[in-house]
Amino acid sequence: MSSGLLNVIDVAAYYKQQVGASVKTIKAVDGVDLFLYEKEILGIVGESGSGKSTLAHVILMNIKKPLEFIRGTVRIYTGNNFLNLNSMSIEELRARVWGKEIALIPQSAMNALMPTLKIKRIILDIVKSHQDKVNEEDVIEKATKRFRELGLPEKAIDMYPFELSGGMRQRTVIAVATLLNPRILIADEPSSALDVVSQRMVLKTFYDLFRKNIIKSMIFISHDIATVRQIATDMCVMYAGKIVERGPTDDLVKRPLHPYAEGLINSIPSVEPEIRKRKLRYIPGQPPDLSNPPTGCRFHPRCPYTMDICRTKEPPALEVERKHLVSCWLYARR
Amino acid sequence: MKIIVYLLITNKRFIAGVSVFLLIVFIGLIGPLLYPVDPLSFAGPMEMPPCGRYPLGTDTYGRDLLAQILVGTRTSLYIGFLTALIAISMGTIIGASAGIKGGIIDEVLMSITNVVLAIPSILLAILIASYIKVRSIEVIALLLGITGWPWYARAIRAQLMSLREREFVYLSKMAGYRDIELAFKDLLPNIATYTFMAFVLYINGGILSEAGLSIIGVGPTKGISLGLILQWASLMEAVRRGLWWWFVPPGAIITAITSSLMIVSVAMDEIFNPKLRGK
Amino acid sequence: MLKVKNLTKIYELGFISKKRIVAVDNVSFEVRSSEIVSLVGESGSGKTTTAKIILRLLPPTSGNVLFENKDVWKDVRRREDRIDYWRKVHAVFQDPYSSYNPFYTIDRVLKQGVKLIGINPSSDKADEIINEALEYVGLNPSEVLGKYPHQLSGGQRQRVMIARCWIIKPKLILADEPVSMIDASMRVSIIELFEKLKKSYGSSTIFITHDMSLAYYISDRILVMYKGRIVDEGSPDDVINSPEHEYTKRLIASVPKLYQKWTL
Repeated sequence: MSSGLLNVIDVAAYYKQQVGASVKTIKAVDGVDLFLYEKEILGIVGESGSGKSTLAHVILMNIKKPLEFIRGTVRIYTGNNFLNLNSMSIEELRARVWGKEIALIPQSAMNALMPTLKIKRIILDIVKSHQDKVNEEDVIEKATKRFRELGLPEKAIDMYPFELSGGMRQRTVIAVATLLNPRILIADEPSSALDVVSQRMVLKTFYDLFRKNIIKSMIFISHDIATVRQIATDMCVMYAGKIVERGPTDDLVKRPLHPYAEGLINSIPSVEPEIRKRKLRYIPGQPPDLSNPPTGCRFHPRCPYTMDICRTKEPPALEVERKHLVSCWLYARR
Repeated sequence: MKIIVYLLITNKRFIAGVSVFLLIVFIGLIGPLLYPVDPLSFAGPMEMPPCGRYPLGTDTYGRDLLAQILVGTRTSLYIGFLTALIAISMGTIIGASAGIKGGIIDEVLMSITNVVLAIPSILLAILIASYIKVRSIEVIALLLGITGWPWYARAIRAQLMSLREREFVYLSKMAGYRDIELAFKDLLPNIATYTFMAFVLYINGGILSEAGLSIIGVGPTKGISLGLILQWASLMEAVRRGLWWWFVPPGAIITAITSSLMIVSVAMDEIFNPKLRGK
Repeated sequence: MLKVKNLTKIYELGFISKKRIVAVDNVSFEVRSSEIVSLVGESGSGKTTTAKIILRLLPPTSGNVLFENKDVWKDVRRREDRIDYWRKVHAVFQDPYSSYNPFYTIDRVLKQGVKLIGINPSSDKADEIINEALEYVGLNPSEVLGKYPHQLSGGQRQRVMIARCWIIKPKLILADEPVSMIDASMRVSIIELFEKLKKSYGSSTIFITHDMSLAYYISDRILVMYKGRIVDEGSPDDVINSPEHEYTKRLIASVPKLYQKWTL
């Protein structure tokens, strides 16, 4: 029985925007429960605007205006102890958690490398911001070893970011982000901007980190389900700020339970003859405005199976099969 | 469009800057009408400090300083506007032609731009001063405009060159637009906000440059401007002799014009840029 | 209908030390009517450059583009001829942000389409056509007309572009990554519009993309481009099941499948 690593309980975070004279509240993450065990790779999938990136920041408690933390608990387990991240200050988080327990690779991280610094310098800067006493030679040696472990050319450490290709840059970012061996790695759209060949290499790098126990578990956020399913052990689907389904990858992809998940999976093209025969289908309508989400189940305006109860009450998360949860009234009659 | 106007009107900095500037414009336009004293003729006792009859005192030649300030403000503003007009007109034509047409026209125009950029306006002013003894306000404005357009021309050339490759330009082309139509309908409107800001900066620059030229004696020889008042003040050693009513007012007004225009351009930058990024 | 023969485009940079970039290298292919052909390749493979040459926006260094047996660059010279060409060959571009001039409402692109087919854009007939076009692509005219580009979603903007194509009804449409910037779940509904145009009006589409899965789903034929050359050609099943070139093999192996998992 693998131990729990992360427990997110009923978190909500809203964006407060100043529009003219009034304040618009966008409920980006509105009541999300999440749990992550050791040796799991959890894929979080959803369209843009579903709240996935916001959720990543909330898990780290990296909350900056205009984002506000409304409620909830974010708890991580560190060996024989646990930390409630939601009650820690930014300084504490920076000193004890970020980079060491949890690391985040945000969207477009590969484009955020300072172009005038060699990778070596960037690595040293990052480590220095997390540790007080830093032995530069040690760090470089450790980094070189890590690069070798992940199959990256060691000479990349002496290069500038622009000298590396997109795929190489992203893998460098991954190696650097996990230098301090964090238990949990969160990656937000790490391969969307890359061509398919580089994308595969990036996924392999993540899997190497996982296999060699450099990281214990990973959260992989993307809108591209076909890519996520290549590496994720479990997947959860987000819609309009809530998680609507979660389960083991194979189960979820082959038999999605939630109507939204079903619609999403049916709309993905793939070079498989079964799909050409099945014909793709799409979900009519558009995702809701999160400043004024629909009552009850947020998907009901677009759902082909809407019932009366869906319009008024939000469905709870129900465990339909082992480790497979859905938030849908269709599965409540048991 | 309406959104931009709304954002401008509600921006405090913009309102503050525009109010001060408009106040000064008002002073310059209406002032001389309400106080119709000839600034250049003898009005009373020499070097009198401010008092009832002469609200800002008199200078060494007994001329009324308040009259000088009022007419001077009007003249300085006029020079600023004229400079801006000349610089923007020339800069737009040259920069747009280079940016939109490209090729050999671009090469030729950019060479000219680089040459003009290298000419120091003060040197040119001194040269002109030694050859033309009687210089009107317009000549100075012309000088400042002709030496001032290069940076703006370059900036809009760069913007137009990148706009030229945007897909909406291709789509207009495929809809049958001629080159001229493309230029006016698709390309130029997108640099309108930049042009507006540049205009404000040129007014500012024109007023300051004229003051600078006048103080060293190569400014206009006819009429009276804020810079010329300062020139007389410095020639008559007003600072050393404590004749504060002579040099403080013109300095204060130049500072007020410059700061208010700077604040306005900062406010406009705030409003135009995020919108442009968002668009 | 369209014949591309030995098309080459070489960029030369610099005055003294000339650097040559071969963007398109001896490309030849054909497109018939009522056909959807995909040009698949990664960025830098030369597919967009090829499209611009076919669209008569960028001149080739050598080679010919023949449309209905007339050379597009040599025989189509006068302004009226060019406009006539663009009535028959039109485009839908990728980036929904720079396809529209932010200064004008989206009506402008539709009115341009109306003008191209010779109808007065301010007439009632024009309004009728525009409304019909928007409904064809699944948009509600009252929700879209009069709005500025930034007020519409990416999906809506692309649909309006396709509505413009419906108005013009070209024989050939060049769609350059039309759905890359759109959410995965919306892509199908937009791509199927090209299929609709093919079935109703016989319009062919050259669909340029880096997404092999999408190309597989929608095309009648796939052309794989790599470093300016066409390295593989055939029906979707042919290309996927029996790829000939090394690059194609690598490409297909790297495309993530929904029901199969890689061994990493």
